[in-house]
Amino acid sequence: MDPVKTEMVVVGAGPGGYAAAFYAADLGKKVILVERDPRLGGVCLNRGCIPSKALLYAAHTLTAARESEHRGITFGPPSIDLAKLRLWKESILNRLSGGIVQLAKLRGVQVIHGRGYFEDSKTLRVETEQGQQFIQYDQAILAVGSKAAMPKAFDLGNPRIMTSTEALEVEDIPENLLVIGGGYIGMELGTVYAGLGSSVVLVEALDTILAGADPDLARPIAAYAKRAFKEVRLKTKVSKMSTSGKHIQVEFATENQKVVELYDRVLVAVGRSPNADDMGLENTRVSFDDRGFIHVNEKQQTTDPSIYAIGDIAGGVLLAHKAAKEARIAVEVIAGENSAFADVTIPAVVFTDPEVAWCGLSEAEAKAKGIAVRVSKFPWAASGRALSFDRPEGLTKLIVDPDTERVLGVGIVGTGAGELISEGVLAVEMGATAKDIALTVHPHPTLSETIMEAAEAFYGHATHTWARKKAALAEP
Amino acid sequence: MDLKLPHLGEGADSGTVVNLFVKEGDLIAKDQPLLELENEKAVATIPASAAGVVSKIYVKPGEKLAVGQRILSLGDASAIPAAPAARPKPVEDSREENIIQTPSPEQVPTPAPEVVDVGEGESAKAVAAAPSLRKLARELGIDLTRVRGSHRGGRIAIEDIRAYIERLQRLAAQPRPAAPSGAAPVSPPAQESIDFSKWGPVSKKPLSPLRQVIARRMTENWNAVPRVTQFDEADLTVVTALRKQYAAAYEQRGARLTLTSFALKAVVDTLKKHPIFNASLDEAAQEIVLKNYYHLGIAVDTEAGLIVPVIRDADKKSLLELSLELEALARKARERKVAADELKGGTFTISNQGGIGGAHFTPIVNKPEVAILGLGRGALKAVVRDNVIEPRLLLPLALSYDHRVIDGGAAARFVVDLVSAFEHFEEASARL
Repeated sequence: MDPVKTEMVVVGAGPGGYAAAFYAADLGKKVILVERDPRLGGVCLNRGCIPSKALLYAAHTLTAARESEHRGITFGPPSIDLAKLRLWKESILNRLSGGIVQLAKLRGVQVIHGRGYFEDSKTLRVETEQGQQFIQYDQAILAVGSKAAMPKAFDLGNPRIMTSTEALEVEDIPENLLVIGGGYIGMELGTVYAGLGSSVVLVEALDTILAGADPDLARPIAAYAKRAFKEVRLKTKVSKMSTSGKHIQVEFATENQKVVELYDRVLVAVGRSPNADDMGLENTRVSFDDRGFIHVNEKQQTTDPSIYAIGDIAGGVLLAHKAAKEARIAVEVIAGENSAFADVTIPAVVFTDPEVAWCGLSEAEAKAKGIAVRVSKFPWAASGRALSFDRPEGLTKLIVDPDTERVLGVGIVGTGAGELISEGVLAVEMGATAKDIALTVHPHPTLSETIMEAAEAFYGHATHTWARKKAALAEP
Repeated sequence: MDLKLPHLGEGADSGTVVNLFVKEGDLIAKDQPLLELENEKAVATIPASAAGVVSKIYVKPGEKLAVGQRILSLGDASAIPAAPAARPKPVEDSREENIIQTPSPEQVPTPAPEVVDVGEGESAKAVAAAPSLRKLARELGIDLTRVRGSHRGGRIAIEDIRAYIERLQRLAAQPRPAAPSGAAPVSPPAQESIDFSKWGPVSKKPLSPLRQVIARRMTENWNAVPRVTQFDEADLTVVTALRKQYAAAYEQRGARLTLTSFALKAVVDTLKKHPIFNASLDEAAQEIVLKNYYHLGIAVDTEAGLIVPVIRDADKKSLLELSLELEALARKARERKVAADELKGGTFTISNQGGIGGAHFTPIVNKPEVAILGLGRGALKAVVRDNVIEPRLLLPLALSYDHRVIDGGAAARFVVDLVSAFEHFEEASARL
């Protein structure tokens, strides 16, 4: 095949890559999008965000049915048709990735399926099913993402030891499941399997689950895990795994003792590693950090002037919406705009039960950096809406600058926290004050009121809580 | 990747490379010091904004460097020292002594160095403005840290940006102080170089960055401020006696009780009675800004030239504290270790030449301040008191003031009160 020339090539069609390709096409660029998977959408759509949310939803119906007993509603024991569940999940993924194909077509973005390999800073070779295709480009955007990390010691080649990728396939519902890692992936998938009926043991090397979240936000999740999982073991490491017939034999090391147990399956959720190997990047001037992520500046430029990097491969927080934001910045910079990843608020959501979400400055971060803040909280036990569906354990809090009363951060734990946090992100981005939020009428009865009431609590007059002491600052 | 000279802070847009800490082939970490830059009135260390291997260096000691200019290139590196993978967070306000905080170059649009921002410049704090406005500002090259937000919580609205642009335009349209008349060219005509060696042997030395700043500032101040100097003399009998009485005690506390210490106290007391001398003229807003704080600049004569460090909240400090701080600041100034911040925010300046000699002189007002006090050497003079001629130690006082803000009557009243503050210096203030 003759080499093709293009203005821009985007390698990787995940939420960063396809967003970059589409935006560049919208700005009038000639774009080729290269994806090694037959399906577009990347990890997020195929092996991450979307399938996990589908399974969490399915598992939730089981949990909800069980929990409705005290409301006088009982069901018989559920029967689970795994094949049908998988089919339903697949149908969602097909529909979404089909949508991306359509959108690419409408924009005139050429999609080439195959592995990309950089011959030099200006040439990408793609191994397609039809043979090699050379692409000569002006600018390349690397959006090749990350994969679930599997430490060598755990990699026995035994399919019973899974990463999130395999776990989302739900081949069976193991009677006993060990989840290694109490981060958001371990917690979400542990929730799925516990909901489906597995007896889940979760181990975490640190002394807390969801280490990134403020302790008061993680607490309801810990309480849930205590109830729904068989056990949560903190400060525990898995020292060794071996195959034992149809089981995995696992050796644990806690502070002073050793335990050996058998599990039907093990989920390893200990982090993610970059996908930069075997791409010929050594033939370019791109450079890496010690963990293999690509160095970029705030314009998403790598150390090679023709190559940009966005999303997981560029390091930082590994989140789809961060990748999509960086896609915009990279394309704008290529288009000659003065754009940069600066002062951007990236929210985080953990889709546990209940959900946790936060944005901007966290309470722990403020403490660690010695930033003076006032934290204003509204417990959901005082929310009629939360009580109406039996979930009073939530909490909404605002991290406020005491001088300007600006909202610097928002943290929410509770059902639907992921949907609620966007108001917080908007507040932080807009430089809103607690007063701005307190003065904005929120509809009743909704969970969004908790944000307004947390803002009112800052001034000592939230309707549905009573502050023993009026807030230290006088009202303006 | 090229590392460029980042924006260094208000007014400091260039400097001379003093020391270079890296060489080609070096593996450098992020934030590692690259070079020392002598700029304005301090020597600043410039840290690396990224990690990598130095493939080429573009600067040499002694060379001039301006904001945005390349310092060095980073090449490929298989082994790069652990750099935080996270993205550059807004820079914390962690200033060390004489290091001027440096946001990365892309972040900061070219500043407008001509603008005198009174009470602005909290650049370390994140800007409160809608994302659409931050994008607009980036496109227009406006540094939002210089824009005053008028909405709740100091939030910047579109009208604030508009007002800021209008203000910049107004300032740009004003005739340059250095230009003789309205029709003058924007930059002053290049001075013709005269060959002095025609008339005898000469030696030459370059104008140091500090000298250049002094020259520029003095010209600006001289041209911008219609200045009057008011003379008087203060009888130092009381002060001399107090000095004699307490000098030893102060010495035991490690402080030198100098005339300048007494002058600081006398000036603060007088400023409190005459707030207009502790003010600034905001020409853009057509406002007089009266300050409720008393930060006194002290002109220090150093080998390199004049430096004016500022003693903060002089009204809240005892004579001992003032004496200690005075000496520490003067020493720092002579060692060129004064942080950029310690040179800012003064409300009134004292220039004491008494230690050297001379009597009255006519100091130049240090804009945006509106007045400055020059002290000469105290001298014994024949004074007539109650029809008797007595020898008295008299201190020459010279108060220069901005006549746009202050009238002659106010200045005379100020000087009368100042003389009285010296002549009736309260012993309670000197007591330890």
